[in-house]
Amino acid sequence: MNLLQEIYQSIVRRDPLSTDKGKSELVFLNVWLHIHPAKVKREHMKFTHTFYLGFITLFLFLILITTGVALMCYYRPYPAAAYQDMKDLQFVVFMGPFLRAMHRWSAHGMVVCVFLHMCRVFYTGSYKKPRQFNWVVGVVLLLLTLGLSFTGYLLPWDQLAYWAITVGTNIGGYAPLVGGQLRELLLGGHTVGEAALLRFYVLHVAVLPSAVILLTMVHLWRVRKDGGLSRPLSKLKPEPQQKLVTIGAVPEIVQLKTQPALSSKTYGLMEVVTGKPIFETISPEEEDDAVFSYPFAFVREALALMATVTGIMTISLFFHAPLEELANPAKTPNPAKAPWYFLGLQELVSHSALLGGVVAPAVMVLALLVIPYIDRNPSRQLKARKWALGLFAAFVAVNLILIVVGTFFRGPGWAMVPPWVHVVGGTE
Amino acid sequence: MDRRSFMKWSWGVGGLTALIAAVGVSLGAVLRFLMPSVFYEPPQAFKIGNPGDFPFGPPTFLVEEKIFVFRDREKGFSAASAVCTHLGCTVNHFASDQKFHCPCHGSVFAADGSVQHGPAPRALDWFEVTQARDGQLRIDKNKVVPPSYRLMV
Repeated sequence: MNLLQEIYQSIVRRDPLSTDKGKSELVFLNVWLHIHPAKVKREHMKFTHTFYLGFITLFLFLILITTGVALMCYYRPYPAAAYQDMKDLQFVVFMGPFLRAMHRWSAHGMVVCVFLHMCRVFYTGSYKKPRQFNWVVGVVLLLLTLGLSFTGYLLPWDQLAYWAITVGTNIGGYAPLVGGQLRELLLGGHTVGEAALLRFYVLHVAVLPSAVILLTMVHLWRVRKDGGLSRPLSKLKPEPQQKLVTIGAVPEIVQLKTQPALSSKTYGLMEVVTGKPIFETISPEEEDDAVFSYPFAFVREALALMATVTGIMTISLFFHAPLEELANPAKTPNPAKAPWYFLGLQELVSHSALLGGVVAPAVMVLALLVIPYIDRNPSRQLKARKWALGLFAAFVAVNLILIVVGTFFRGPGWAMVPPWVHVVGGTE
Repeated sequence: MDRRSFMKWSWGVGGLTALIAAVGVSLGAVLRFLMPSVFYEPPQAFKIGNPGDFPFGPPTFLVEEKIFVFRDREKGFSAASAVCTHLGCTVNHFASDQKFHCPCHGSVFAADGSVQHGPAPRALDWFEVTQARDGQLRIDKNKVVPPSYRLMV
């Protein structure tokens, strides 16, 4: 019995969870939980502050890794086998269609949630100092998410996959100077074929997931190091008034206030240095609003996780991932459409390949990346950010409209066909 | 600058240069490694069969090569690429209007391959058709010819 106790205590070294010390140690002595603060503010846990979109995105990514590894056991990435393996997954493998559907819906969900998460961060002004860099990391994660979706799209090797990737990689070919070589590098050849399938597979299962994992670590680390979640707008302190200073006047010396240490708490001190912290700090008074992460934050996270998994499972029960006929390089389906999140891009490309396929997306990505550095307005209040909010709303609206037009309003030959008109036969 | 600080400085500059060079060369080598030295793709020049195999009238579509072969009673043989110059979709030839239609973004090419409508940046390619020694027709995709090119057999 003593041995068992010793083993348990060698693994779990914290105090009992009934004590405050135990609750803190649960967080910072645990490699998986220590990304959390020991205490969180109540206002940060409010659902309507963040809609838990970052967490949901992370959970979707975890579902994708789990289902993806399972699918890898039945998939061989070369043209002669890939489609056959998909058929096996669809009709022979136990729970194959369900796992495929989960993988697919989580991927779609992740694209949606990453985008919504970005919108939330923008509208609450949470990209502003000191969180500028974390916004940039977030934009790169958005691009990696799209890259993961795009590379995964080819793997079933059906008509949908083949032509979406043909169109997609040809768009890249329009990039000035390096376009052609870039495309050759990506495809490992001149057309979408055996080499391209293998390269997309490598990107999809090794390169891009590793990049996402590494950057997610940076992203979460920076959330903590930048001072935790940004405060809800309603809780913002009034912005300090600019003081008029007479040139040459003796600067006012601010007396540092000292706070007596509470005897009821244990303070850990890492190092004594001088200088102001770069991150947001909370005053001792504000700490009163904070509660221990265990159980308050963890319960909410667990609920979000369960809701995400249950949601994806429910959708996957009723809607299976489609699989079209075998890829046929000679016959382009009419209309040939990219995945929905790229249909806005395809809509632009249908007007001009260089402007719509290269210039417009490059400008959009660059604009997203530099937002925190060109928006010099320090205020996070909605009233003070009319221009920024308007521009971002326009950006979201344009993207949505293009995607809706590309998805529902384009028929055979990319002609404008409203969704309520049924085209019979089409023109082949 | 005294001798001592010059030595320090040159170590720094020399070391940094060597480091940048090493990283640059390694990155270049990685990029070159990723660029295939041999493409195991179908050859660009190939025989397509005897002239008698091809009917007059509507073009014959060669599936693997993505080429339309036209045979005209007066003028002879010609071969048009079926790859849309916009984003590489395979165009269809409609007998009704004698034009090429791209299903992806609606580009329309006239009978001579020139762009009539849509986002395609340039006309469809026409390839050289020759007759090999054994009498078979031979197409070379590396040799682009004007649309007026014909091979009389």
